[in-house]
Amino acid sequence: MFIEYTWLVPLVPMICFLLIGLIGRKTPEKGGYFAIAGALISFVIAALISYEYLTGDTYPNPVVESIQWFVIPGSTDFVINLGYYVDGLTCLMMLFASFISTLIFIYSIGYMGDQGERKNRYYAEVSLFLTGMLGLVVSSNFLEMFIFWEVMGLCSYLLIGFWSFRHPEGDAASANAASAAKKAFLVTRLGDVCLMAGLFILLGEFHSLDYSTLFDPANIAAVDSDMLTLAMFLIFGGVIGKSAQFPLHDWLPDAMAGPTTVSSLIHAATMVKAGVYLVARGYPLFIQNAEVMLFVGVIGGVTAFIAATMALNNMNIKKVLAYSTISQLGYMILALGAGGYLVALGMGMEGAEGAALITAGSAGMVAGCFHMMNHAFFKALLFMCSGSVIHAVGTEDMREMGGLGKHMKITSLTMLIGSLSIAGFPFFSGFWSKDLVLEIAMEAGHDGTVWFTVMWILAIITAFMTAFYMFRMWFMTFMGEEGHATQHCHGESPKTMTFPLIVLAVLAFGSGFLILFGLDAMVSFTVTPDAFIVGGGEAGGFHHFEHIFTSPYTYLTIVLALVGIGIAYLMYAKKTMNPGAFNKDGESWLYKALTKRWWFPDLYNQISWKLGYGVARGVNFIDRQIVDGTVNGLSGAVVGGGDALSKVQSGHVQDYSSIVLLGISVISVLFIVIAKVMGGI
Amino acid sequence: MDMTAIFGDYTAIAPMLILIVGALILPGIQLLSKNRTATWAVALVLVIASIAVNAMLIAEEFTGKAFDLYTYDAYTGLMVLIFQVVLFLGVLVSNASIETTRLHVGAYYALLLGATTGMMFVAGSMDLVSIFIGVELTSISSYALVSLKRKDSRAAEAAVKYVIIGGMSTALTIYGISMLYGLTGTTVINDIAAQTQLTGMNWMFAIALVSMIAGYGFKIAAVPFHMWAPDVYEGASTPVSMFLATGSKKMGLGVFFQIFLIMFVSGTACSAIAGPEVQYLFAIIAAFTMTVGNVVAIAQNNIKRMLAYSSIAQAGYILIVMAVMSEYALAGGLFHMFTHVFMKGGAFLIVGALICAGIGEKISDYRGLAKRAPFLAFAMMLFLFSLAGIPPLAGFTSKFFLFSSAIGSLDGVTSQWVWLAFIAILNSAISLYYYARVVKAMYVEKGTSTEKVSIPAPFMVAIVICVVAVIVLGVYPQIVFDLCEAAAAAMFA
Repeated sequence: MFIEYTWLVPLVPMICFLLIGLIGRKTPEKGGYFAIAGALISFVIAALISYEYLTGDTYPNPVVESIQWFVIPGSTDFVINLGYYVDGLTCLMMLFASFISTLIFIYSIGYMGDQGERKNRYYAEVSLFLTGMLGLVVSSNFLEMFIFWEVMGLCSYLLIGFWSFRHPEGDAASANAASAAKKAFLVTRLGDVCLMAGLFILLGEFHSLDYSTLFDPANIAAVDSDMLTLAMFLIFGGVIGKSAQFPLHDWLPDAMAGPTTVSSLIHAATMVKAGVYLVARGYPLFIQNAEVMLFVGVIGGVTAFIAATMALNNMNIKKVLAYSTISQLGYMILALGAGGYLVALGMGMEGAEGAALITAGSAGMVAGCFHMMNHAFFKALLFMCSGSVIHAVGTEDMREMGGLGKHMKITSLTMLIGSLSIAGFPFFSGFWSKDLVLEIAMEAGHDGTVWFTVMWILAIITAFMTAFYMFRMWFMTFMGEEGHATQHCHGESPKTMTFPLIVLAVLAFGSGFLILFGLDAMVSFTVTPDAFIVGGGEAGGFHHFEHIFTSPYTYLTIVLALVGIGIAYLMYAKKTMNPGAFNKDGESWLYKALTKRWWFPDLYNQISWKLGYGVARGVNFIDRQIVDGTVNGLSGAVVGGGDALSKVQSGHVQDYSSIVLLGISVISVLFIVIAKVMGGI
Repeated sequence: MDMTAIFGDYTAIAPMLILIVGALILPGIQLLSKNRTATWAVALVLVIASIAVNAMLIAEEFTGKAFDLYTYDAYTGLMVLIFQVVLFLGVLVSNASIETTRLHVGAYYALLLGATTGMMFVAGSMDLVSIFIGVELTSISSYALVSLKRKDSRAAEAAVKYVIIGGMSTALTIYGISMLYGLTGTTVINDIAAQTQLTGMNWMFAIALVSMIAGYGFKIAAVPFHMWAPDVYEGASTPVSMFLATGSKKMGLGVFFQIFLIMFVSGTACSAIAGPEVQYLFAIIAAFTMTVGNVVAIAQNNIKRMLAYSSIAQAGYILIVMAVMSEYALAGGLFHMFTHVFMKGGAFLIVGALICAGIGEKISDYRGLAKRAPFLAFAMMLFLFSLAGIPPLAGFTSKFFLFSSAIGSLDGVTSQWVWLAFIAILNSAISLYYYARVVKAMYVEKGTSTEKVSIPAPFMVAIVICVVAVIVLGVYPQIVFDLCEAAAAAMFA
């Protein structure tokens, strides 16, 4: 009875977006309460839908309902639908996205309190953003999904640029925000180009973009497998852009220029998760080819590692968190890739051996989705804590903080919980899911290819680095001597900000235990001869406990995490170990490479600015200066000057005419060449 | 209402007849009334009447001939509708625009109506000579229209260039036509197709083909025949720029469809007359046109020039139809032409409206516009994003149809034009860069003034029409796409 109303989930924030835009200015908080109400209603509806679906008779088969949107007639009619698709993955995604958004919007009331009229625009945009994410997860086909995907891209452009009007830190920061917004938009666009091309190929092959058609094994078997492989590579290109994977990861740290609440929204609940969701959603297609999954896994592992290294020496509290997001997204992609690789191998084999591989591989889906959910909680918490700190001290530079723990008890404690969770401290949520990720990578290395063993080693090192840089951040901020900015700190943040922190802290600690209550069954992945089913698997329950604590590798990661925390403590809290001794006081090659982000921004600039704009300038130069050279400055000089006009005109048009004749010659030659090659003449 | 009962044998050309009558009487009305608003009102009423008649014809799925020269079918109906919408938008804002002439009001509207008549004539012609006459009627009227913005050196310069380059294009075209006539002894396209199938490919045919591609390539500003377009669009008054960029270009594309699609596709033995070779030639021209258009647009600072280059690129996208040469591709191309009227037309209208409000044509003049004119800035953002192909706006849907036609045919065979679609998608991404620049100027950068902007009411009406169309066609494309399907089917019948 609730599932029929799934379309309400994205529609409610959409209505709020319109309400805020139309009448928000006249209401208290400039429409902030509408945004909260919208997110909350969506969450309640999502919860009711999930309950009904998970306890219903159809579970674990997806519930699909759609209306016809448009038809392209042809030898076989080609129908594009508009509808919703509910399965375990949809439930998980819409629940955590709407829940975390609700908390972020409540927090915004406190955080954005002094922003005046601009709050109106802010709340309208975040509501639209939420519409994009919720619409994306309930969509019943790839085209509908792509539309919401783009809506979200557009909103992120507007939101990151939010502070570009009047950044609290002055004009330089404003310009920075605007250029970061553009970078985010353009880089993700590059991914979107690939995604769109991939969708076109799927469309051409399947005559449809409906999930229910595309995920049918009979239909998959009927299409050209090479084209399918190409399409999935391209679609993964979209994921690389959206989820900030190597080598398109560089926009995410720059996108920190927006308000912290927006970072929190983008990193925890929406945007970057869309890419991971797309891989999980498209799993039935991705697993058709083991090479695709290997590529996915390697990209994930490399991203996790590279991003973690760049977080090691960054001084900006938000940027450290941004790199950690990229790194954790890498974990999720790695888990999906490693699991999918095993499933793909298993599908190519006969009998019990293949079935065993498929079962082992489907743990990758569980690990990826589970880590995605846990990460949503602890990353939202960490960002909101950093927002609380920035709100209090007015800077993002950690060198100016220090000793804040005394002034901000709630913030420091909740942030400690978030940091323990992401560092993988035992029993905190990050510990469970990270362990599953490492395990599936290990297994893929063991049963599949040695590449995944390499990825496992990178992931283990990443786990150590994560513990180190998170606690480096925490100690630098809350412990030690009081920094320059700490002295101006005006105490703990208001209740609207600390309340969401406390709620999230509980979840950041506890959400990992959900796996004992059957969460893994909700997103399990089962392969049967006539369907790919998400959800409805066997719940591992306490079996996971037994498994995790009897494996020696678990203790290796725990030790690495503790060593990481310990080194951070010695360097930044007790100060008995001098970090300068390791990096020659910031002069070592490695230190510089990290500060320069491995030169990726420079590389992008070289490619995009020098090459792209240079070519444009060059072509324009030929078009305008050489051909059109005399046109400059004409407008004033020529009025009434018939002679000058005719002189200029004749010179000018002659040039045009020569180009035309040249063009005709080129076309003629081209035509002859083509005709010769194809044997026409 | 049965249109044949009213117009009899002239039903097929009824929408055109109304405009011809208008073009003849409007100078007289201006002379008698001495009131430019009255002349404007009469012109507007005639245009609306013409649209109404055409809408009736489309609704009753009329097909018919007039004088064995002009055929009205679903394709003609759709093309005529496109031209009429462009004309309607152009006429609607002309009286309010400060750029249009105050001296030759009668002549101005007569030329606009005359140029549109030419386009409509082309849309129904299946004969090289009548196509030629229609194109010339439009071109000669356009030269005069560009020059009517007097006392502006840029306009005078643009008009002279336009005439000279246009003359070259005419010469090339007529040369090509005469070659074909010499070869086949006929100017009816179907007969030429039948004849050349018998004779097969030869050098004379190749020369005729290349000169006609070049000659009509001017009309759509295909690279390397595009150079006049930015100068002319920049120099002409904005309503005229809009008319040329969205109307006259569509006529050129229509000519390509009518001549080459019929010659190579309806002519069943297309391999005998170099069909695949011509497809490749068009694919290369399309790729260059869209790439040069988009890349050069990046470096433009004048917004009219930027829009001019972007419409060169858009023509490149539509040329995909000529490479793919399938019914679905044609339907997609026609749909893109239809949506292009509103998104490019809307963008030009905003530029024109802002010129009336005293805001310049430089992108830097648009700084802080979101504060000064929230609706206009929002509408401009919609048009630009639609041009870039961002869902759920009309430009996305039409590009979706167009590009997907290049990737997979509906029979499930992946076509050889995947590379072309890739170039097109890549180009869409490039184009976003310069569109986003305008949006950034409007929304992000600070302007020198914060004064509110007010624009004339007719501009507002025209812009609102375009906004509604861009959203509705994006969300519910079926209403117009069915027409495009029918038009494509009629062409391939």
